[in-house]
Amino acid sequence: MKNVPSRSGEWSVLRRMKEIRGKVVRLFYFLLPLLFIAILWELIVYFRIVSPSRTPSPLQICLKLYQLTTPKPILLNNLFESLLRLVLGYMLGALLGILVGILTGISKPFYRAFSPILSLLISVPTLAWVPLLLVTLGTGDETIVFTIFLGGFFPVVYNTMNGIRGIEKQLVWASRIMGADKTTVFFDVFLPGALVSIITGLRLAIGYSWRALVGAEMLAAGISWGVGHMIYAARAFSDVEAMFAGLVIIAVGGILMDRLIMDPIERRTVEKWGMVKER
Amino acid sequence: MSRREALHVKAKETLQSTLYFLAPIILFLLGWEFVSRMKIMNPALISRPSEIFSILFELFGSESRSFLGHSIILDISQSLYRLVYAFSVAAVCGVGLGMLMGRNKHIYRFFDPLITVAMPIPGIAWAPIFMLWLGFGDPTIITVGALAAFFPIVYSTASGVRSVEEKLVWSARSMGANDKTVFFNVLLPWSAAHIFTGFKLGLARGWRTIIAVEMIAATLLGLGYMIFAARDYLRPSIVYGGIMILAVIFFLIERIVRLIEKRTIEKWGMVGS
Repeated sequence: MKNVPSRSGEWSVLRRMKEIRGKVVRLFYFLLPLLFIAILWELIVYFRIVSPSRTPSPLQICLKLYQLTTPKPILLNNLFESLLRLVLGYMLGALLGILVGILTGISKPFYRAFSPILSLLISVPTLAWVPLLLVTLGTGDETIVFTIFLGGFFPVVYNTMNGIRGIEKQLVWASRIMGADKTTVFFDVFLPGALVSIITGLRLAIGYSWRALVGAEMLAAGISWGVGHMIYAARAFSDVEAMFAGLVIIAVGGILMDRLIMDPIERRTVEKWGMVKER
Repeated sequence: MSRREALHVKAKETLQSTLYFLAPIILFLLGWEFVSRMKIMNPALISRPSEIFSILFELFGSESRSFLGHSIILDISQSLYRLVYAFSVAAVCGVGLGMLMGRNKHIYRFFDPLITVAMPIPGIAWAPIFMLWLGFGDPTIITVGALAAFFPIVYSTASGVRSVEEKLVWSARSMGANDKTVFFNVLLPWSAAHIFTGFKLGLARGWRTIIAVEMIAATLLGLGYMIFAARDYLRPSIVYGGIMILAVIFFLIERIVRLIEKRTIEKWGMVGS
């Protein structure tokens, strides 16, 4: 508390308390409807309106989540394996995507050559590549990582390209006239100008990659770990509780990634650099 | 310039842009053909375009000799039928709930967290559960497709309606408009651009999900099913052909949607901020 820079200490403490209270209230309002639905669902199952063996109640799902973490951390192992694949595929997709996006954005011949192919490839659902990859790359990790890569690559390319092409020509000309060389134009005009768009692409891409991961893990038979695999394998035993437990993990994971990683990155870079987001 | 000349110029421009669009694709296919003929990679895994196109041609004919035993047109129409069905359900429910959420603060507060939690779940993750409830085939595929398309639509509609300035509603009311008039003449046109964006997102998500779910839940027909089955029969050319068809179909769908957008939303001047 002492390190908080303040004009008058007392007020700043009060303000901070108010902020925290606001956050708690918002969290409460966020959780209330979820809790309500959970209780309703629990009652529906309790009074046997639906069969608990086909539709487990929230408590059953929680119990399953607990069983999957102790004594053996099966769930964590699955999640860890999935995250490893996600990081690898997403990083590849983001790096290559930004590179190709910049190239097609800056160079007109590149744009002419790639944008038609790109616009067709973008129309292919990511998971439609899986059968092909299963044949060419096998049924293991390579296929899954490559699917995640494809899921992340296209949104990044598309947004980076559009970001760079959206920069006004006058800006480039002006910096040229003032004597900027190509490197300076690239780092001081193109990159900051396209940054908002690039980050939007990166944020979209993580959602796409996450979805691609789950789907690819379901379709690839040669793996034994992963959240998607866990859900799909549960089907063989009609283990609905494990399916729902997987869904919970996927939902929570998706939200946490977006809120805890992508949102702060977007705020730090875009807003700090004084680039107002259109929305 | 006479009208005929203008038409002439326009035709020339269209031809030119089509050429610019097709040239890189044709070059790409030629390069692919060349590389695969040099046998750098295993030809059983990487088929060549000429082979793919001849198989596609064969698949389009009825009573094809392939493992499918029926024309691929049936697969295409079945997938499109599922898309239209799922999208219609999602659009009706999504716009309905979105409107309610946009107009009523309590409804918004209740549903917003639920949507925030459920939206990032990939459609295909629901598939095993719905397969257990509804069995294989259309019920599961269409339900999961509709579920995937529903969230973007309801989200966009709600934010569109919420973006309508309250003053507009007040002034309409003070001029004696009833609920119906407010809805059709104020809320709907002012949020139309948002709703349309939701439709576009929902259509794309629905399509992707339906193709994916077809791979695990379809029993006989559907493009996703066809591609996945072709893998089991080790026919990579058919997989490639299927992917090409998927690309072309969604590309055309997007073009049509864009045309509709130009003719309606943009023409009426409802372009969103």
